[in-house]
Amino acid sequence: MKAVWIARSVREQVGSHRALVAAAAATFCLLAVAAGGAKLGTKTAARWRAFAGQNVHVIAYLADDTDGERALGLAQILGRSATVAQATVLDPAEAFARLETSAVGAGVAPKTLENLEPTYFPRSIEIRLAPAPDLADRAALLAIRLREVPGIAQVDAMTSGLARLALWIDLGRRLGQGMLVALALVTLVALVAVFMRSRTTARQRSLVLAQLGDTATGIRLPTCLWMAAAALLGSGVGALLLRFAWRPLLSRLERSLGIVSTLAPPLLNPREVEIGLALVLLLGLFMGYFAAPLPRASDHA
Amino acid sequence: MDDHKVSRLQLLAYDRPVLWLDGVSCQRNGSAVLDSATLGVANGELIVIEGSTASGKSTLLEVAAIARAPDRGAVWFAGRNTTTLQRASLPFVRRNIGYCAAEPLLLVDRSVLANIMLALAIRGDSPKAAESAAREALTLVHASDLADRKVTSLSTGQKRLVALARAVAGPPPVVIADEPAALGGEEGRTVAVSALLAARSLGAAVLCGTSDTALADQVVRAGGRRIHLAQGRIVGTPAVELVPSLASAVGRKREIERKGLPPHIEHGEETIAIPPATKGPR
Repeated sequence: MKAVWIARSVREQVGSHRALVAAAAATFCLLAVAAGGAKLGTKTAARWRAFAGQNVHVIAYLADDTDGERALGLAQILGRSATVAQATVLDPAEAFARLETSAVGAGVAPKTLENLEPTYFPRSIEIRLAPAPDLADRAALLAIRLREVPGIAQVDAMTSGLARLALWIDLGRRLGQGMLVALALVTLVALVAVFMRSRTTARQRSLVLAQLGDTATGIRLPTCLWMAAAALLGSGVGALLLRFAWRPLLSRLERSLGIVSTLAPPLLNPREVEIGLALVLLLGLFMGYFAAPLPRASDHA
Repeated sequence: MDDHKVSRLQLLAYDRPVLWLDGVSCQRNGSAVLDSATLGVANGELIVIEGSTASGKSTLLEVAAIARAPDRGAVWFAGRNTTTLQRASLPFVRRNIGYCAAEPLLLVDRSVLANIMLALAIRGDSPKAAESAAREALTLVHASDLADRKVTSLSTGQKRLVALARAVAGPPPVVIADEPAALGGEEGRTVAVSALLAARSLGAAVLCGTSDTALADQVVRAGGRRIHLAQGRIVGTPAVELVPSLASAVGRKREIERKGLPPHIEHGEETIAIPPATKGPR
């Protein structure tokens, strides 16, 4: 069959089965959102882990008689430890400035900190631990050791906050996984339904075309083409949804969880989008191919 | 039924018909519905196969239309044994046969015109030529007013008319119609016969099956040949009349025996080298 007839057949099939084509496009959109969401979820989990790592601090408050040189020496010794990523001496003004930054990031009104004096904060060593799965235990152990060190008045391992954060992250991960599994199941059911419906509508058409002497390519190509077009359209819409909706949603979620990160929320990069679209396009062609069955009973051989 | 058998040499010798059923047999549920049927249809010939219900007409026509494979025997189309062709090659044979089945297969979600144009599209016509030929075919069956209607809105009789129009549209080299005038009464018979005659006048070989004696009589009056089918067997017709030019073939056979085979035919070859006929005589 000539290309003009193939194009005509595609147009007629789309016109005759608008609801099916729309359902197919919606299903491929769902698939794109599920697959893209899984990828973004992985990126977000990495971001949250990084955030947790950045914010696992053990604060060692120095005694009043500990001079600057002694404080610097202590920070250098701690910095050499394998479990410590960084140890920094903070003077009261710097500690206050950091508190202000965090408060603004968390949405706390600046007025709340108005009455605080920078000198309220004692000199301290801020110890950032190297990222690891057992940060809470490590922080607690380090705190016990630091309390024995002369010149250190008090140690705050921030274990309660850390445990709470780990709990939130774990809960978020589980919720995300659950939602993703549910979405994947819904997508799978929708894909199977679209495939079966397409097969039913294509069966009678295949019988007629085979009787008229159309080739296997002529019988299958129009269904392949409209299914591929629906796949491309649906997955394109899915990619756009993720592009424009993911960041606001994630920002809102992070704000509600109290996660403040200097890193921008993750997005799918163009390469990932291209690969995703190509894969969905292939799936559309594959489904279209098998949705148009060739009649067997009436064939020779 | 051995008198229906034609030897290999005879096949090579006579002017070959465009469609030739060679000792075709079919079974259904263990019993024979078609038994060693041999029949040839030449270009421009009109044959009506008359037989009562369950005489094997539809099976014979299905086999002739390459819509069903015979259990035994061979179906030759333009010198090619279709029973030995690869599956992928069969569509190229089928598109040269306009087949109006007893239960017509139409695309229900398309218009009548689109259904007829589809057959022409598969044969390679341009959309413009296909539309023109489809409208002509609808005029032939007196159904021009149905052109833009959806198939779902048609009655069974109208669907048969549309299927007949699709079969004769073009026309293809071979037109096969199974009960083309069923449900149509006297007017239906006239319409069906005139459509088949129009296809024949353009060079198509026409094979028509019916249990309606009145229709068969009309076909014969119009210059067609009548063949009787009973219990899956062709009866009352000598083998020499079943294949056109068989009588002259006997003469040619004798000539070949004297002078040898024509240069393009070799002894022992299973097939005959004939250019493929993928386009109708239009």
